[in-house]
Amino acid sequence: MQLQRRSFLIGAGGAAASGLLSATAVRADDAPEASSDVVGFLGENQAGVYRPASQQQSACFAAFKVLSRDTAELKALLQKLTVKATILGGGHGAGDALPSSELSGVDGAPPVNSGVMGEDIAAANFTLTLGLAASLFDSPVFGLAAKKPKGLTDMKVFPKDQIEEEWTGGDLILQLCADSTDMVHYALRDIMKATRGQLQLQWKINGFHNRPRPDGAPRNLFGYKDGIVNPAQDEQLVWIRGGSGQPSWAEGGTFMVVRIIRMLVEFWDRVGLGEQDNMIGRHRASGAPLGKSKETDTPDYASDPHGETVPLNAHIRLANPRTQETSGSRMLRRGYNYELGVDLNGNMQAGLIFTSFQQNIQEQFEATQTRLANEPMTDYIEPFGGGYFFVVPGVQKDGGFLGEGLFA
Amino acid sequence: MTAPAVSPARPAQGAPTRPQPTQAGPPATMDDAVAAYHEYVAERLTELRQHVLALRANVGNGDVDSAMQAWLDAQQAWQSVGAAYGSFGDLGSAIAPGSRGLEDGAANPDFTGLRRIEYGLWHGQGAGELIPVIDKLLTDVDALEAKLPETAVAPSDMPLRLHEILEDTQRDHLSGRGDQGSGLALALARADVDATQEVLDMLRGLLDNLKSGFPARLDGELAALRAAIDATQKDGAWTDYAKVALAERQAVNAALGRALESLSLVPPLFSTD
Repeated sequence: MQLQRRSFLIGAGGAAASGLLSATAVRADDAPEASSDVVGFLGENQAGVYRPASQQQSACFAAFKVLSRDTAELKALLQKLTVKATILGGGHGAGDALPSSELSGVDGAPPVNSGVMGEDIAAANFTLTLGLAASLFDSPVFGLAAKKPKGLTDMKVFPKDQIEEEWTGGDLILQLCADSTDMVHYALRDIMKATRGQLQLQWKINGFHNRPRPDGAPRNLFGYKDGIVNPAQDEQLVWIRGGSGQPSWAEGGTFMVVRIIRMLVEFWDRVGLGEQDNMIGRHRASGAPLGKSKETDTPDYASDPHGETVPLNAHIRLANPRTQETSGSRMLRRGYNYELGVDLNGNMQAGLIFTSFQQNIQEQFEATQTRLANEPMTDYIEPFGGGYFFVVPGVQKDGGFLGEGLFA
Repeated sequence: MTAPAVSPARPAQGAPTRPQPTQAGPPATMDDAVAAYHEYVAERLTELRQHVLALRANVGNGDVDSAMQAWLDAQQAWQSVGAAYGSFGDLGSAIAPGSRGLEDGAANPDFTGLRRIEYGLWHGQGAGELIPVIDKLLTDVDALEAKLPETAVAPSDMPLRLHEILEDTQRDHLSGRGDQGSGLALALARADVDATQEVLDMLRGLLDNLKSGFPARLDGELAALRAAIDATQKDGAWTDYAKVALAERQAVNAALGRALESLSLVPPLFSTD
């Protein structure tokens, strides 16, 4: 009975797999993956923030409860995640040797990988970005209270938020990104198998990044170009540096805000283009600020003090007023779109996994969000989940591990 | 139809009474292990039959609370047999089939056995509907008991059983998909852990020869799972798994997942391929 069940599954695998493939036919415009599509793991900062420069097409945001029972187990967990980030991000050929920690040592044991990527695994620009939540530092189990970065709190609830408990919480987040959807799935499954018993999913959501239509910044699900203005790395608004008042182990890290925002796309599609443009502050077709012609043009708010060209409550004007005082509140945004099935009212459950990286959540993300409090667009969006995390510094040399500074 | 007044949680059950060991140490050969398993199953079936007789009496008397308890005793006795994936063929399948694959699910007249009785008890059904189902169950238990001596358990089946009893726990009980109204998945999961421990004890010596220290590691992981399940009890009663606090569910799910990853190495360890 048992053996039959197993052989049946194996025998049926081929047919089932080919059925799946035809159901999710590869997009014609997908370029073949090159073995050179590798984002280096080592560095002062983690990948998945400014690296790779071109944001990957697919992502998974997976928040976990950490069930490690003591500091030693937590350290081993972080070491395991580091090994996984290295192997997954490096690409892996069928004939390549694996570290002994990856092998069960039992002949005939279930395969070490799920096979979803075939036997030769192209990295597809895979990056793993690890963030830790306040709850991990607060846990008496690990004794890390003194290491907690300043300003790492629970996610603030803003006036129009409709937070659903099942979409919040978690001690640790993994942002997994790659230029192929199957690689993101493969990576999460591989990591979870390797950390079974130590990590338990709290919530997870997958996202997709659109291609530029027709060029420039990709469009969000409201049809507008999004992420046009992002601070460059040398503007130094993202990474924690010395003298910031943060614990020294945190230098090279950054704060990550994840907000899962439902977008009422049916409602949005019933609004006239002029009103849409005024809510956003840009022309939908070109992405240019209202009154300008190119998406990269800078709006001239000084000569538009009454909002006759760009309304005073337009999203881009409130988010980034382009003044000396608000310049420091800019942040790196690296969000993904999501789709999640059907809402009770029959609408598509779809929206944005807003993700931002910054040195200071209160002075950047929260200050910006506070300015946006009553923007007209709030009627069309419903933030319902997410969290605040601290993205630990990068690993600078082989043998190091993510979060090593916590144990120094 | 009015549902009976059901207390929100059923009384917790301890581990099933274990038979006295019939030999000093763990079985030394797979044939010995199979023989020990046969003996163990025969004893569990005797208990199952007693619980089903009590169930029949309680249903006949209209004593719903006692009937529910007797059902749980019977279902746990069946879980402790470790009958994963229909190991006793059609005879075993008749005792506790699920409602999958039946049109209209639990309402289908072809739905029988222990889970059908669970459905009835938790959906206000009485003696008129349930006594025939219970009598059929008794017939099936008798048939399995009678055939047991000649129902050979293949030696290769024992390692798979050690692994897959808890796969059933995850697939049927903790997923909520096997539930027919009782919300007692955790009580059944607890019996599954004990059944896994019993099979582990039977294979302990053989397994330790194949991978020294492995049975001890499994002992530790099963103990952690048992503790996580027990920690969900409130005032000694079981809670519907869907209503257990997330942090407690995460502890159970994590411990079960950890144990399953280890248990999946048992069949290949015993494989002679």
